[in-house]
Amino acid sequence: MSPKARENLTGYLFISPWLLGFFVFTFWPFLRSLYLSFCNYNIVQPPKFIGLANYQMMLFNDDLFYKSLWVTLRYAIVAVPLTLVVGVALALLLNLNVKGIAVFRTIFYLPSIVPTVAMTSIFMWILNPQVGMVNRILALVGVSGPAWLSDPVWTPWTLIFMAVWAAGGSMVIYLAGLKDIPQYLYEAATLDGASAWRKMRMITLPMLSPVIFFNLVMSIIGTFQYFTQAFVISNGSGGPEDSTLFYALYMFKRCWKYMDMGYGSAMAWVLFLIVMLSTGLIFRTQKRWVHYGR
Amino acid sequence: MAVNHWGPENAKFWMRKAKPVLAIFLLAAVGYPILTAKMPTTAYEGRQKIKFWHRWGGEWEQVVFKIAGEFNESQTTYEVVPMFVTGAGSDTKFILSATGGDPCDVMSIWNGNLAPLAAADLLTPLETLMTPEELKYFQTVPYPAVRESGQYKGKTYGITIGADLFGYYVNADHLREVGLDPDKPPKTFAELVEMGRKLEKKDKNGTLIRMGLNVASLQTHSYAFGPGFWDEKKRELRLNTPDMVAALTAMAEQRKAVGFQNAQRFWASQNTGSSTGAWPFIDGAVSITYDGQWRVEEIRKYKPDMDYRVWPVPPPEGGRALPGSIGGNFMIIPATARNKKGAFEWLKFWSGLTEPNRAAKFENWGGWIPLSPDVAHSPTYEEYVKKNPRFQTFIDILDGPNCHAYPPVGYLGFLLDQLTRAEDSALRGSQTPKQALDELDANVKKELRKRKEMGFDDSL
Repeated sequence: MSPKARENLTGYLFISPWLLGFFVFTFWPFLRSLYLSFCNYNIVQPPKFIGLANYQMMLFNDDLFYKSLWVTLRYAIVAVPLTLVVGVALALLLNLNVKGIAVFRTIFYLPSIVPTVAMTSIFMWILNPQVGMVNRILALVGVSGPAWLSDPVWTPWTLIFMAVWAAGGSMVIYLAGLKDIPQYLYEAATLDGASAWRKMRMITLPMLSPVIFFNLVMSIIGTFQYFTQAFVISNGSGGPEDSTLFYALYMFKRCWKYMDMGYGSAMAWVLFLIVMLSTGLIFRTQKRWVHYGR
Repeated sequence: MAVNHWGPENAKFWMRKAKPVLAIFLLAAVGYPILTAKMPTTAYEGRQKIKFWHRWGGEWEQVVFKIAGEFNESQTTYEVVPMFVTGAGSDTKFILSATGGDPCDVMSIWNGNLAPLAAADLLTPLETLMTPEELKYFQTVPYPAVRESGQYKGKTYGITIGADLFGYYVNADHLREVGLDPDKPPKTFAELVEMGRKLEKKDKNGTLIRMGLNVASLQTHSYAFGPGFWDEKKRELRLNTPDMVAALTAMAEQRKAVGFQNAQRFWASQNTGSSTGAWPFIDGAVSITYDGQWRVEEIRKYKPDMDYRVWPVPPPEGGRALPGSIGGNFMIIPATARNKKGAFEWLKFWSGLTEPNRAAKFENWGGWIPLSPDVAHSPTYEEYVKKNPRFQTFIDILDGPNCHAYPPVGYLGFLLDQLTRAEDSALRGSQTPKQALDELDANVKKELRKRKEMGFDDSL
């Protein structure tokens, strides 16, 4: 065996535990789910090949499929940009050199490490229409707060609010990005007489754009997989009136409640294609607004 | 020259030295109890174990332990080992374990999940475990609606160990407060609605602070307004018939009179979970509310001096009295269970297939509806009803001809979800009852067409 081959073998041996796990627990189920999406499969009996029937039914005969897609898209359209803006704004504020900044950073980061189920349960209490803290505060200024979690008009906004509250996770990444911007760029701009706003527009945001791009892609993927909060709030039903029937929740119900794993697999593949497509589109636009140069 | 590490200036040095020691100490503190822990042993060594999964947590679990304790004391061959499986994930856990070949021996599930599991061949037909005498008894003695609630395509896959029925709980003091006689139940649904309006309380801003009447369950109300959403005799669904529209309209009109927004806000602020302490009826937030029979036992335990009544759903003019839709806990045995014989012994012990009077005691502990008239009219059960006369309403519904099982269809989960959704839309006022039922009917028909094209066998 040549030294090169020996070196390669050693390398593969070192990464073999991960490779084994990847092929057994990720790659094989991934392929298998593609096959199952063309089958009638209820988990128990062997899968029965039915061609494109699952996809046909989903695209032409299932209103709930489109409803769940719309619930997810609507959330993504508002929550992704909003959390992005809030995350960047927080990072800019927490990048200031003021006394006790570490404490503020910790406070704003804390929500993102609270377990999702715990956070959702707390919000259910805070947003209780009659005895919840939010509506009590609103009542002090004469505003009658809505039924945040049981009125289908308000439920999506409540979930968006919860997402914004937990924007501290992305804030930390933006903060790291800000710290990475060379100081001399600001110094040069100051010497040229640039205003603070101009420095932010011409230096901070362009230099931060790779990080924004990364967070944008991850948020979109995460949004399409949105599940836990909707499951806890609606007790798995997707209510009130399907207003929290997110795509992943509907897929879960199809798989485990209606025991229709073939259909669920087809839904998973459509989701995969949507995520690939939207990520691909964002990648296509990056040349216009993401700056990697120094 | 030797270095002196003991001075206060060397604190950093000692901190560095102490870190690994501290880490080892912490590891040992956590690891030792784990490594040396012994699996809990059971009290009946040498007996065959029966793994029993159930969904009763908290105080209910104590009831399960008591019944299991009695079974184990009565046995020389088997020992039942109960295990609480949390409600939300219990079905998924069951399906995965049964498919993977390592399920429990017996499990208590909600009957709404029974038909889909039976349709997927996950359950054991219980007739295969019955002796000819037991089979004859089972085919003739139990309440038909309760028996049929455990059946799919003519075979029995589940037997109840504690079924549920619903009725209207009435706060007698509230009624007297507005000049109504709690011992004169309404003859029609319209009268009930009228009573509810009188009982309502609003603050100066018009916000509801006491709900007069909380209507719920299109399923049960449909059996008061006509033959119901499922016609057992014709074996067909009746989701969008004039009597269904009438039932949902009556319920929605009541909510409209209260104010859709007002009612919604009020109800959303109440804790409508299953815990007794937070039940809006027991703390006086609602005067008349629709709920299950187990609440009688809860009131007896936690608010014994509460003056209340239980009324069946009143029919409309010319409607059908004492409507009921059986829900609740049914014991099933997985198709791949290892100890089916032992599991069936446990099932018989609790359900009352043998010794109805003993089973009556268990049913009373949980405040449940029993399998058969043998249990319901046993001395123990009758004694319980005598002491808790409000329970009688549920026995009347059970004994009557208008008590029904869920449709035994493989898509029951989807159907019940859609029924709930239609009711929800109509009671929120976001759809008219007719629109809600049109959509329900269309969605169920689409689902059936889909299932047919995919090869599911939904013949009845």
